[in-house]
Amino acid sequence: MTDELEDVYKYVVVGGGIAGVTCVETLSALCPDERILLLTSSNLVKAVINYQKVSKTLESFDVQEKPMSYIQNDCPNVQVLQKTIISLDAKNHILRTDDGCKFKYQKLCICAGGKPKLISEDNAYVVGIRDTESVQEFQSRLQKARRIIVVGNGGIATELVYEVEGCEVLWAIKDISISSTFVDPGAAQFFLPHLNQEKSQDEKPLKRLKYTSDKEMSVEFQKSSLQTPGGALGPDWSTSLEMKGLQSLCHCVHVEYQVEVAKLWSPEELRNACKTETTHTDLPFTQHPGSWPIYVELTNGKIYGCDFVVSATGVTPNIEPFTENNKFHIASDGGLMVNDKLQTSEKDIYAAGDVCTASWDPAPHWFQMRLWAQARQMGAYAAKSMLADDSGDEIPLDFCFELFSHVTKFFNYKVILLGKYNAQGLGTDHELLLRVTKGKEYVKAVIQDGRLQGAVLIGDTDLEETFENLILNQLDLTPFKDHLLESAIDVEDFFD
Amino acid sequence: MVVRTYQEELSYLEKMTPNSWRIKKGFVPNMNVEGIFYVNDSLERLMFDELKQSCRSQGYGGFLPGMKQIGNVAALPGIVGKSIGLPDVHSGYGFAIGNMAAFDMSDPKSVVSPGGVGFDINCGVRLLRTNLTEKDVQPLKEQLAQCLFDHIPVGVGSKGIIPMNAKDLEEALEMGMDWSLREGYIWAEDKEHCEEYGRMLQADPSKVSGRAKKRGLPQLGTLGAGNHYAEIQVVEEIYNDFAAKKMGIDFKGQVCVMIHCGSRGLGHQVATDSLVVMEKVMKRDNIDTNDRQLACARINSQEGQDYLKGMASAANYAWVNRSSMTFLARQAFAKMFNTTPDDLDMHVIYDVSHNIAKVEEHFLDGKQKTLLIHRKGSTRAFPPHHPLIPVDYQLTGQPVLIGGTMGTCSYVLTGTEQGMVETFGTTCHGAGRALSRAKSRRNLDFQDVLNALDQQGISIRVASPKLVMEEAPESYKNVTDVVDTCHAAGISRKTFKLRPIAVIKG
Repeated sequence: MTDELEDVYKYVVVGGGIAGVTCVETLSALCPDERILLLTSSNLVKAVINYQKVSKTLESFDVQEKPMSYIQNDCPNVQVLQKTIISLDAKNHILRTDDGCKFKYQKLCICAGGKPKLISEDNAYVVGIRDTESVQEFQSRLQKARRIIVVGNGGIATELVYEVEGCEVLWAIKDISISSTFVDPGAAQFFLPHLNQEKSQDEKPLKRLKYTSDKEMSVEFQKSSLQTPGGALGPDWSTSLEMKGLQSLCHCVHVEYQVEVAKLWSPEELRNACKTETTHTDLPFTQHPGSWPIYVELTNGKIYGCDFVVSATGVTPNIEPFTENNKFHIASDGGLMVNDKLQTSEKDIYAAGDVCTASWDPAPHWFQMRLWAQARQMGAYAAKSMLADDSGDEIPLDFCFELFSHVTKFFNYKVILLGKYNAQGLGTDHELLLRVTKGKEYVKAVIQDGRLQGAVLIGDTDLEETFENLILNQLDLTPFKDHLLESAIDVEDFFD
Repeated sequence: MVVRTYQEELSYLEKMTPNSWRIKKGFVPNMNVEGIFYVNDSLERLMFDELKQSCRSQGYGGFLPGMKQIGNVAALPGIVGKSIGLPDVHSGYGFAIGNMAAFDMSDPKSVVSPGGVGFDINCGVRLLRTNLTEKDVQPLKEQLAQCLFDHIPVGVGSKGIIPMNAKDLEEALEMGMDWSLREGYIWAEDKEHCEEYGRMLQADPSKVSGRAKKRGLPQLGTLGAGNHYAEIQVVEEIYNDFAAKKMGIDFKGQVCVMIHCGSRGLGHQVATDSLVVMEKVMKRDNIDTNDRQLACARINSQEGQDYLKGMASAANYAWVNRSSMTFLARQAFAKMFNTTPDDLDMHVIYDVSHNIAKVEEHFLDGKQKTLLIHRKGSTRAFPPHHPLIPVDYQLTGQPVLIGGTMGTCSYVLTGTEQGMVETFGTTCHGAGRALSRAKSRRNLDFQDVLNALDQQGISIRVASPKLVMEEAPESYKNVTDVVDTCHAAGISRKTFKLRPIAVIKG
């Protein structure tokens, strides 16, 4: 390897996703005089401000900065380089990249994200969805599709199933209810009628920053980055993305519960094995005998053909380039273990976002989930933590790690998850308070020892702030509890 | 507790004027003073329906009807005058929302109660004017709303965009809007048009717990969710030209911005911390109340003083918070109309506090008294010539901002001499969803949902269908009814009315 001039930086951050970018921005804001380096193997993620929706599919941005260099404009002490890490020498504080460069750091933050778990790595008819590029790929293939099979039961699968129109969708999930990564079977039941309903159009203003990736990066670079995953999809990723298949139908979804993919068959293989597609006259699907490029055999023995398979079964932490010859403690989920300062077990190395596993003793109402919001929070906190370590300050764990909260949108309903919303780890001595109005709202409160521990709020309930406060206050609700969700009482006012 | 029939309860209530009812001693045990509440015909029906319903169902758990809560407050040690229910009164933790009560500072037994202030300390409303007309704004309405959303973070878990560290927070808690002014977020004139000039001097940040500060730090400059909002409004009707002109309101169709929010999680934590402390203190000092939610401490006890200092700090936080959002709203408007906030004449008309306790001077039976005034879900409304209101409003009386429910109207009133005498210079607040208790009738056919959940073997309680379906009346306290009642009762006067054209909320 040719040794380029070794460059020394005070802080080096690896990863251009939300955790990495937030970390760099925070570092730059807090110490404008230090040399900071951001190494990214893929597109940079950035917040789009002044987002305007001009029409249903057309949007305009008001981004003053030149793409790619925007971080350098905003944060003059930050240098951004497009490089792929091939190895880390933790002992000597040196990173090596694929083009033979070496970088020396005083402190390093690894924000390398995750890699989608694909059900099959090298099948041309299997598409993973994780970053903006893969969505574009998905979109273009969908235009020619008559039927797709979606495997996975998380957020992306749920949003996809709802957004796709003009194409038959078979949704294969391993659980007893849909969207179970996020919601309980009761809420799933609440959503079910919407699977095959017409999508409603709404043009509400966006209440969050919208994220996108720098699209104008060099084509060359985009190609070279195919092996390494780009920044994960942001919140509201599906807004104004048109997802339409060949057919004129609206929604046509069939769910297969408690199954996994047993085998993928090509048409020839299927024929040679003397198997055929399961007849499905009871399903809403049309018959296209013998005309699919790929067939999926499920663990319940059924075989379905489709134009392509979407694998949305989550991600695994992307730790590979860093672990060799180093002594990182790796968690059972494959992430780099970090303590409450986001420090890994290697000196001067921090980690944030999907790549790490929170291994401190968490607050009673918080737990880690690999979500955008948490990546951003960790990115910012890692920066503060790195600085505090240098200045010898003690910083308390940021308050965002006191309460789990997640806001998303499923089936066009606002979905808010707070605290131990599925009674995670609460044992069996808790109780649930429930209020449901079909098609309108689903409210579930998890109560233990007379105190609110978590909640699922679906629809425009207006309860989120009150419930957030009730969980954090741990106010004794024993006198109210049977009536807490009583519709004649406005609890959001009562506790004002 | 004695269980009485509805008919028996009625014998303790007496109509005094077309707009007010007296609650006689004995309605609840140990009342030191009488209660009073203000209504018109339709509000009256709602109040009595609520009482009737609670007699039938023996109350709903911890939720007492407004009249009973007013009575229980009248039983607190040291209360003077009357326990007063404003027209928008309804069930709240401890004190009803819309209940005000005064305690004699010279009586050593007098108490301060966090439930009489509320969790969202110094929740309040601020109104900014502009020189824009509805015509200027209508075509840009959507973009303007989006621009405000981009500037003002909303919803749970949202984080403020105004940079702040722990030291800044300490200073903000101590200095209130003086901090905002020093940091360049507000105009000097803004302070003039705020109660207390946007700073409570007795604030002591050392009386605010570490957890409260930790909760408050990331939330500064955020709107939150639930009943808090920012609205772009237009003047729909002017009732009092002179007073409106003094407030810079010159014509129908003039565009204003209303901001309704408070001290967020910080206030909640201050209130919660003090409730825990006071429950212990009550045992020590032998303080008895009718309702456990009315936890309180003697004003001159260490705990009472600590609460007042912590509360004042939270109040300062709320002003800084509203000021930060004022800054962000001005930025958004200036950007949208490609000019400066100055040229848009974006002055603060006024800023009122809904949830607060203050020491004030009042005349009681002809004698001047120093009182601790608890105002929960109610607004200070001082008359013309009162020394504590700004020069600009000396002739009109203090502006009172009444936020309506989303989609309904908001009002601006002024304080009156009669209000000073009858209600310790207090009137309704009417903000947010407080007035819209009507909810869609629940469709209760959801056995499938229950079946799906049942597999977990966990106790599940469902919002009681019977009560909802049969007994809940259309209990909608219309903001216009509330304001008209205050006007008719003479405790404040209508100045102008606003209609929303865009809402920013979580």
